[in-house]
Parts: sequence; structure tokens; C-alpha cells
Amino acid sequence: MKTLSRKQFGYLCITPTLVIFLVFAIYPVCRTILLSFFRFRLQTGPVRTFIGLDNYIQMLSDGRFFNSLFFTLLFTVLTVAIEVILGLIFAQLMNLPFKGRGALRVVVLIPWAIPTIVSGFMWKLMVHDQYGVFNQILASLGIIDHFIPWLSQDNTARLILVLSDIWKTAPYVSLLVLAGLQTIPITLYEAAAIDGAGPIRRYFSLTLPLLKPVLATAVLFRLISSFKVYTVIVALTNGGPGYATESLTMYTMRTYFDAGNYGYGSTLATFTLFVTCLIALLFTPVIRNKIDGGKGA
Amino acid sequence: MNRETILHKTLFYLFAIFFMLTIGFPFFWQIINSFKMEKDIFALIWFPHTYTGANYVKAFTSRPLLSYLGNSFVIANFATILSLAIGSMAAYAIAKTPIKGKTPFLILVMSISLLPPIVIISPIYSIIRGLNLLNSYTGLIIVNVLFTLTVVIWFLTPYLHAVPRELEEAAEIDGASPVQTFSRIVIPLLGPGVFTVGILAFIQIWNEYLFALVLNPIKIKTVTVGLKMYESDNYMPWGTIMAAAVIIVVPLITLVLLLQKRIIGGLMSGGIKE
Repeated sequence: MKTLSRKQFGYLCITPTLVIFLVFAIYPVCRTILLSFFRFRLQTGPVRTFIGLDNYIQMLSDGRFFNSLFFTLLFTVLTVAIEVILGLIFAQLMNLPFKGRGALRVVVLIPWAIPTIVSGFMWKLMVHDQYGVFNQILASLGIIDHFIPWLSQDNTARLILVLSDIWKTAPYVSLLVLAGLQTIPITLYEAAAIDGAGPIRRYFSLTLPLLKPVLATAVLFRLISSFKVYTVIVALTNGGPGYATESLTMYTMRTYFDAGNYGYGSTLATFTLFVTCLIALLFTPVIRNKIDGGKGA
Repeated sequence: MNRETILHKTLFYLFAIFFMLTIGFPFFWQIINSFKMEKDIFALIWFPHTYTGANYVKAFTSRPLLSYLGNSFVIANFATILSLAIGSMAAYAIAKTPIKGKTPFLILVMSISLLPPIVIISPIYSIIRGLNLLNSYTGLIIVNVLFTLTVVIWFLTPYLHAVPRELEEAAEIDGASPVQTFSRIVIPLLGPGVFTVGILAFIQIWNEYLFALVLNPIKIKTVTVGLKMYESDNYMPWGTIMAAAVIIVVPLITLVLLLQKRIIGGLMSGGIKE
């Protein structure tokens, strides 16, 4: 048997991955984009009619689309902003040289490891309008004077979704920030302290700038994953009250699988792809950095 | 100890306690309610007078929880092993062999790791239906491999860069073929890295909801889809749901507590390199 060269072996090694990517990612992405230009409904059978930009024109006058886009953007901006701020604070805390910080780092993993659907149900019970502990605690602290039906009012339902996502993800962000903090050499702080910089000054002019690459990476990944929010909504509000908490992914899912409208659903999915690409473009340096890291450059 | 240190220490522990309570409370509430009788849940008593195991019995008898657990276990195990096998080969090709097109390939890996599932869900549904794999183990395993594969490749490529080339060269001088070098020299060295990223992949697959819902709506339901089955339009059996949720989470929390160092290390290095 002729032995393979290293190069041939390399191509052989990468082939299974390429096949999976091609069949289950590249082809599906192309097909979704293609179908977004067609009229294609389950109810009318397998007939596909090319209709050009009609689906996109329909989207631009679809109130439910704009409603879901508004909620998704609101959710994304609020969760990512608050998670990054809390992540910075928690990471600072976990980096302090006290006994018990190891325990903190373990506790941080619990929300991360719990499935989103489970954390959704946990929160749903906690914020229940009649027997929710959330209401009980707030009432006993005197913050509210009657139990609030959190999930049946538009804005409070949105608030609870944001809070539950923060609970689940801010601890994880804090671990990423902690990783960044630990790469900063302690000698830099000592030098700054000798120069007379106080702790706050040191934080804003030394720590934060040095954390920038880590933060940029965390923000990129968090933005994209917040923008595809779906599962937690299924557990907590199912898009309600009305359509107040219907995310773009949820609206797309319903267009596909409840309404059987594959053409228009593909248009909505293509829009999600478009927004994701926009976010990725904003973070091109981060992505380039990662790819160079992958190459070992 | 001076006054300032004491102040710092007090502040640290106050923060730490607040932090732990906030993070821990929802989990505590889930566990304590899984042992309450329904009247105690409705009455909002924090610690019930009588603890009951009835919810746990009902979790298994009112829905086929055991089969949900079995399905998730099979799917998560197979998908993890498959993506480790396929992914470590790809990472090796990138890190150690002189192939062309590494940059486009890494861009592709990056794009897929950022790709929202909703963009591909409908075509994937058609493909899996076309292959007659709806409501099967295989279909869901393949789709999960797609998303964990990118994690494995990102994690293992830098890991492999760190393996000195001399080790392989020594084997080659002894007349080993590339296949032998890979299987005898590289795979054993990958051990700890494969293990860490394997845990991350397993947790990701165990927690996956969207594809499990769409591809396996009738048979072979996973735990995440199954949990939603306890709900009905006019009645929420909260005690049972909380008990089922505890059972679903136990394997994960056990993994996390046993392997915390590795998981934290894995997540943190992922954060820097990602």
C-alpha cells in the first residue's frame, strides 16, 4: 500500500468536516436565501412560484415583523449591555485574593449549565401573579403594594425575559472577563500605583483598555446569541401577552411551522442572517484575530 | 490587620454573599418546590411542614421522563463522540499539515459558529425528512454534530499548535506513516483537551431545544422538549415540573461540580481565543 503524504492525509482529515458543513450549513443557507424569492406554501402543495422581491416588500409593510424586530433589538441591547457591566463587576470580585473566591467561580457555573428551557420554567414559577415568590419578596419589602401579574403586561413581561437572561448569562460573561483580567501582569498595577494612580484611575486607564479584546469578543458572541432569542420565550411567555414578546426567531418559526408559509418564512430567516452579518462586520478585527489565532500565526 | 483591610474584607464578603444568593436563589427555589405539596406551593410557604417525594414519582409516571432522559443521553453521547472524532481530525489538518485553504476554512468554521439556527432550520427539516430521519436518533445526532463541531475545532486547533513538531518527526524518522503518527503520537497527547471540550459539547447538546423540537416532535423526544410536555392549557402541575426539571439538571450539575476546574479552564481559554 502506498503511504499517504502529510498533505494528502491533511486533506483526508478535513473532508468529513467539509461534507457536514456543505450538506447541513452551506446548502441550507443558500436554499433559505433562494426560497425567500419564492411563493411557497404548505397549503398549496409543492408549487414554488418565483415572485422576485414580493416577500421583502410584504415584510416592509408587516407590522408583526417590525414588532418582533423591535422586541428582539430591545432584548439584545438591554441584555448585552447589562451583562457586560455586571460581568465586569463580578469578574473584579472573583479576582480579589480572598478565601472563598473558588466557591464563587463554581456558583457562577450553575446558571450557565442549566438548560434555557429549565431556567425559563424556574422563572415562570417565581414571577407567578398569585403564588410567585418574586411578588412576595417585593411586597414584604414594601416595594409593591399588590401582587403584579408580571407576565400578562407588555413591559413587565419584557422585563422578566431580560432579567432571566441576565441571570443565566451574566455569570458566564464574568468568567470570560476574569480570563482577561488574569492575563494582565500585576507589575503593571504596581508601576501605576508607584506613579500615584488611585484604584479607580487604575481601573479606567489600565484595566479597561487592556480588557478591550476580551470584551469585544464577548460582546460579539453575546449580541449574536441574544439576537436569536427563542427558547426562554417559549418557556416564559410564548410571545405574549399578544405579540409583546414575540422575537424574530419565534415569528419566523410560527411562519414556517404554524402557518406553513415557507417562502415568507425564508425571507424572515434571511433577514436574521443579514443582521447577523452586519454584527459580524462591525467586529471584523475580532474575527480576524481569532482566525489568525486558529492558524497559529 | 489594619482597618482598611478589615473594611475591604467585609465588603468582599457582603458582595460575595449577595452575589451567591442572587445566583443560587432560583435554583434553590426549584429544588425546594419540587418537594412541596401543591397547597404549600399555592400558599407560598418557603419551607413546607411536610416534604413530599410524590412530585418525583409523578414526574416519571405522568410523562415518559425515563425515555426522555435515555434519548438525551444517547443523542448527547453519540453526537459528542462523533464531533470529537471528526473535529480533532480537522483541527490536526489545520494545525499540523501543509494543506492549502486554511484561512477560508477557518472563516467557514467561524461563520457557522455564529450562524443563527433559524436561518437553516427549514432546509434542514426538509433534508432530514428526505432521508427519512425525522423522529430518529440519527437525524438529531447529525444536526447537533454540526454545531458542536465548530466548538471542537476552535478549541483543539490552538491546543495542537502547542504540540511540538519534533515529537511527530521522531516517529516519522522511525518510519511511521502520517496515519500512524496521528493515531499513536497525536491522539494520546490530545487526551485532556478532548476531555474538556467534550464536556462543553455534551452540555450544549443536552440543553439544545430548537432542533430537538422541530426534528423529533413525536418520537425520541429529548429532555428539553419533554419538559414542555408537562404543561397543559389550563393547568400547570408546578411541583411535578420542578421535580422533572431537577432530574434533568442533576446530570449537568454533577458534571459541573466534579469537573469544575476543567470546565472553568475550558470556558476561560475559549473566551480568550474565541
